[in-house]
Amino acid sequence: MTTMLDAICEFAVKEAERNGATEAEAYAMTNRESEVVIENNDVKQAKSQTTGGIGIRIFVNRRLGFSYANTLTKESIQRGVIRALKVASASPEDKFNVLPLTHLKKIRGPKLFDENAVSFTVMDCSVAASEMLRAAKSIDGRVSVDSGNFTNSFLNHSIYNSNGVCHNEMITSFFWSILGMAVDGNEVSSFDIQSDGCHMLADVKVSASGEALAENTLKSLGAKKVESFRGEMILSPSAVSELLHDTITHSINSDAVQKKTSAFQGKIGQSVSTHLLTIEDDPTDAKSLAAASFDREGVPHGLTNIIDQGILKTFLYNTYTAGKDKLDSTGNAAGGPNSPPVVSSTNLVVSPGSSDLDTLISEVDRGIVLNRFSGNVNPINGEFSGVVKGGHYIVNGEINFPVREVMIAGNVFDALTNLTGVSRERKSFSDSVLPHIRIENIAFIGQ
Amino acid sequence: MDYELSIEILNRLLTKYDKTYYLEARYQTRSLNEVSFSNGELEKISTIENSGLGLRALVEGCWGFSSIYCMSNDMLEKCVSTAIAAAKALSTTKKVKVKGLKPLQRAIKGIFKPNVNGQLQDIDIEKKINVTREAEAEARKFSERIKSAYSSYLEIIDHKIIVNNDGAEFETFDSKPEFSITCIANSGGDRVTASEGRGVTGGWNDLFEISDHLQYARLASQRALNLLEAKRVSGENSTVILDPGMVGLISHEAIGHMVEADFVLSGSIVKDKLDSMIASEKVTLIDSGRSPYSEGAAGTMAVDDEGVLAGDVVLIENGKLKSFLHNRETAFLFDTEPTGNARAFEYTDEPIIRMRNTFIKPGNDKLEDIIKETKYGYLVKGPRNGQADANGEFMFGAQELHLIQGGEITGLKRGATISGNAFDVLKSVDMVGNDFSYGIGTGYCGKFQIAKVDGGGPHLRCIATVGSLE
Repeated sequence: MTTMLDAICEFAVKEAERNGATEAEAYAMTNRESEVVIENNDVKQAKSQTTGGIGIRIFVNRRLGFSYANTLTKESIQRGVIRALKVASASPEDKFNVLPLTHLKKIRGPKLFDENAVSFTVMDCSVAASEMLRAAKSIDGRVSVDSGNFTNSFLNHSIYNSNGVCHNEMITSFFWSILGMAVDGNEVSSFDIQSDGCHMLADVKVSASGEALAENTLKSLGAKKVESFRGEMILSPSAVSELLHDTITHSINSDAVQKKTSAFQGKIGQSVSTHLLTIEDDPTDAKSLAAASFDREGVPHGLTNIIDQGILKTFLYNTYTAGKDKLDSTGNAAGGPNSPPVVSSTNLVVSPGSSDLDTLISEVDRGIVLNRFSGNVNPINGEFSGVVKGGHYIVNGEINFPVREVMIAGNVFDALTNLTGVSRERKSFSDSVLPHIRIENIAFIGQ
Repeated sequence: MDYELSIEILNRLLTKYDKTYYLEARYQTRSLNEVSFSNGELEKISTIENSGLGLRALVEGCWGFSSIYCMSNDMLEKCVSTAIAAAKALSTTKKVKVKGLKPLQRAIKGIFKPNVNGQLQDIDIEKKINVTREAEAEARKFSERIKSAYSSYLEIIDHKIIVNNDGAEFETFDSKPEFSITCIANSGGDRVTASEGRGVTGGWNDLFEISDHLQYARLASQRALNLLEAKRVSGENSTVILDPGMVGLISHEAIGHMVEADFVLSGSIVKDKLDSMIASEKVTLIDSGRSPYSEGAAGTMAVDDEGVLAGDVVLIENGKLKSFLHNRETAFLFDTEPTGNARAFEYTDEPIIRMRNTFIKPGNDKLEDIIKETKYGYLVKGPRNGQADANGEFMFGAQELHLIQGGEITGLKRGATISGNAFDVLKSVDMVGNDFSYGIGTGYCGKFQIAKVDGGGPHLRCIATVGSLE
């Protein structure tokens, strides 16, 4: 079935070819979105809008041109084609500038569309946002919600290229977040942020996020300083996201490997972590908000095994970087219509471990559990340095008290080789599914 | 044909609705062009045209917002009615209704344009591509130990037409180019990164006024090579002299966000501190839509998106907290004047309280004297990204540290983190330089939407924790 968006994309590609493009691709999107924003313990604003846009990528004799316009009229598309051609005339030739061919494999994507989500109104968003707020505030009056939101969106995206690639998909999503702290007299706890999302209306569960925020901020009240020591750290899924995620996704990105900025360069088949770590990229997981049945270039999505029990198996590719390594794309062309495709993981899934969180804690002689990590991580060399947020001091397998002003510094790649535990429990983020992870031999800098 | 919007059309549109509603229409056209090179190859090139109308409505104490990208009379009316309906959707769930908006002291009318030397639209895309390519090549040519380089040019050119039914009707033009270069130097398994660049409000010639693209490339390469030879610091609490970029970063991240009135209402640590000493008396901290002391700061703007002139706001005066940053809603609530900080990034965004150019006012000390009077400490240069928490704790990265012993710089150390409690650190300020520059204009501030901001100040001596990246 050809949709209106397909027709718009086809028009753009034909216009580009007519004006001298040797290859052309158009990626268009419309998104109807309703959102209620939370601020200062109350709902703040309701928003309802439809946005759209088309990205036109062309090659003229392997020279790249790109333009984007947010209006989908013929005149706007024609202007966009001319802009892209002008850019191509000034950009360097690159023999790897090619578009993907049609794929024989029929796309069988996950089910990401729910009719009930389409009829969800801004009023419904308002009710959901209020429910999340109530869940956080009703636990304890000291919980103060700084901000948050509840969003419902209905996205329609199409890709069309001059090689015959043509895909369209409709995706419904719900996303919610809540950020706040606990305030007790003059004491203000660390921030906590909770977020979650889903594609089906039946899976919307906002109260759990509000309750988790309350629990995390309250238990970080009364934080004390500790002396510097060396011990084990247990990262919450949020802290894994903040401390490890970006360095891992950078290192497995073929673009970074080809630019020699990946520490995993030349390490395919080698050990990069202890055997406890297994990582996949799974854009077909219907639980992930990032799920879609095809990538930014129209290559069908599939599951990619990246690290298997500590052994690096593959890097992630789009068509351009795969061409350079004489491989096939792994379907990891990423980005929206407003920029040319890049390479990115879609939904980084860390396999669950065999222990639960309580067991991981009980095995620690001396260490800190981190709720969040606030600091700098250099994804190229893995160096990190920052402050423990919402941290709790563990002595002899038991959590003693919350800590403040504790810094940690180290290296992500060393941390992966010092990884001593992965929890059974995991949390979903918009770009990943992550467990709690335990790492030994960390220097905690306190008083 | 494309539908041309004007102040007259928007005025006619808004007068059709209930006068008790506050309605604000913002038509924005944006051209965003970007090019980057990495290791001799084109990394990214893109030209973006983005235009549409954002419509905000305050109805019975509740805010609603909608936007459209296709202009026609029918669509304009649909946009207003959708925003009004959205506002009404909150009427049963919103506990505390907006009681009012601070009236505009005068209704802003007219056209506002920044000072621009070298209109970006007049510079051919080919030149922008070449400059970016040449800089990246120059960086790698500098030394064989520079193994990798990345250069980037980005420009945002905006035109806004803003009309509200409180009488504001004006147009603003904006022009914000930025250029940056990052180098990675390698030696054995050891690698360091260094970067240089600038972001301004102005034109092509303003962007390259201080250094040209090749000079930036050589500076970044030289810095990376120097750092490759340098050792790491060990973690310690120490006297530090922060460079203007670091001062800008602390002013913005650690203090600026704490005094945003929306954050104050959520329980910021400074909520009850107006007129209290929260910093050393040597510290006067300002947020301004103008660009005082040095022209062309990246956060410069004439009028905010609610029609309030974007002048200077003295946040801390000689150590004492004097003001928060307000929009019209919080100004009404605090019974004060709006400060011109209501900003929206794209037409699809509503205006929220954002900083502009946030800086510490220069003092009387010469940098050489500050160094001379430091027995032991570090001169900290080159801000990297940073974060600050609700309780004032902050953590920022710095590119390089110069060890000071006995009043003299005695050696270079690798990049490290500077952390502490912002208020403790500002209370420890005992020397304030007489120099001034802005230094974070290539960065963006994220708060639901992004915003182009800047920050700066003089060199400033204080006490903070230096953390090793070991």
